[in-house]
Amino acid sequence: MHNPLSYDQPRPQSTWHHPPAFAPLPIAELLLDVVRPRVGPGGREWLERAVADLRPSLDRDAFAGAFTLSARRVGKALLALSGEELTRLQGSGVTWTLTGWGVDELSRSMLLLRAAAALPPREFETLVEECYGRGDSRERQAVLRSLALLPAADRFLALAVDACRTSIQPLFEAIACENPYPAAHFPELNFNQMVLKALFTGVALRRILGLEGRITTELRRMAADYASERRAAARSVPPDIDYVLGKERSPS
Amino acid sequence: MKLFDPHIHMTSRTTMDYEAMAQAGIAAVVEPSFWIGQPRTHVGTFEDYFNLLLGWERFRASQFGIHHVCALSLNPKEANNPRVAPGVIELLPRYLAKDGVVAVGEIGYDDLTPEEEKYFAVQLELALRFDLPALVHTPHRDKKRGTERSLALIKDMGFPEARALIDHNTEETLPLVLKTGCWAGHSIYPHTKMDEVRMVALVKRYGSDRILINSAADWGVSDPLKVSKTVELLRQSGVSEADIERIVWENPLTFFGQSAQLDLAELSTAPRIDQSRLFEGNSVLRGQTPAVTVAAKQPGSATR
Repeated sequence: MHNPLSYDQPRPQSTWHHPPAFAPLPIAELLLDVVRPRVGPGGREWLERAVADLRPSLDRDAFAGAFTLSARRVGKALLALSGEELTRLQGSGVTWTLTGWGVDELSRSMLLLRAAAALPPREFETLVEECYGRGDSRERQAVLRSLALLPAADRFLALAVDACRTSIQPLFEAIACENPYPAAHFPELNFNQMVLKALFTGVALRRILGLEGRITTELRRMAADYASERRAAARSVPPDIDYVLGKERSPS
Repeated sequence: MKLFDPHIHMTSRTTMDYEAMAQAGIAAVVEPSFWIGQPRTHVGTFEDYFNLLLGWERFRASQFGIHHVCALSLNPKEANNPRVAPGVIELLPRYLAKDGVVAVGEIGYDDLTPEEEKYFAVQLELALRFDLPALVHTPHRDKKRGTERSLALIKDMGFPEARALIDHNTEETLPLVLKTGCWAGHSIYPHTKMDEVRMVALVKRYGSDRILINSAADWGVSDPLKVSKTVELLRQSGVSEADIERIVWENPLTFFGQSAQLDLAELSTAPRIDQSRLFEGNSVLRGQTPAVTVAAKQPGSATR
């Protein structure tokens, strides 16, 4: 589905922050522990059965069903992690805060991690692409938020870059905001376009994880050109541009 | 004065829009193929989309006295999608020679990727092969650089500048376009791109040569009456009738007329409306009495 695109630009250097390579099953277990206390008895029963049904071998249809049904069965409540949960997650290398995730997205992420452990790499890639390609906006959001947790996350670069072209703002924010994936994996051109789109759509730049390490001469040039275009049109200039231009120490 | 909206996505609009446009004097539109708001996943959906632009939409417009022609292409965003891009390029030659296809477009840059450049060039070649002008979209982000690179590509490929319309210009890109032989389009939007007041200032500064305006109305926040509203403000601001008419009628007619697909005689008379006609058995009416006119004096009056 999403064949790798050809990129002429240099890829991120190893000095940029890379989340660790996660072992999928322990993280899946951890996410399941976070989901459990947040769902009612019926939902919990469904969840345990859905997880059990994926063993010993993963049935594609059962997986697709569970992935989609997550929203109905576990609900879409916004996560508010306890201090203990945050510590456990950070101890396992999930150093970002899962801000904005819903319980359903956590459930879907958990299912994806189980599939990553159960399937050969190529089959897992197809499964992720199908979950995204046939997903509704919220399913797509869950895929994008999960990318950084998946083994060999680099292979989903084309999917992630393509997601930035969406006109559905929550979907754009699922990849661009509170997500370590772009700073860790995007080539310069795509990362810069994402930052410009964030400025365009009024997204606060502090929500882009790892931005500080990815500001380049070219990104500064693009931001300065955008400010100039806004001024020529007698329109306001987003204050965050000053951060990209190095005039402010932190974004607003 | 008859008005021409040279860039509007009518498939996203309603029959009430058509009525209001006809009432406001819009006699002809170009509908370029574009991004439908979310990515398409199969080449086949483009085939249906092209058929829609050539068939039902043209008929629908005619039912309100508006002459509808189209531009076809692989749009810049979807040039990045390897699942559809090569297949759409294979499909295009089947469609570009059809009646009422007045340009290849929208083509151009969106993220300024190598894939976009490749398909931009491939489609300029198609325009040459099918003897059509090209409608070139300029990007929202990194607009000035995108415009510079579009102009450079047109030049490098030896594509005749007089047959390229560079669209969505701003204060910073218009002078770059006018320095070449290309035409310059302006999308008058409620919030982004260009507005009426800024457009008046540009016309006062640069005149009316090779300058066009459009509403680029689509499924987003946009206004299909922006061409007529801008005409109103140009008039109030003291721009001459001759200059206004050049911008909203003669220029689009001359530019898209290069396709030899605009029936100038038909466009010079008021359209005949016959709402009793059907398209493959379908009518735009929902129980209303069909409006039928032989020769309306004012464009649009017939739909009342």
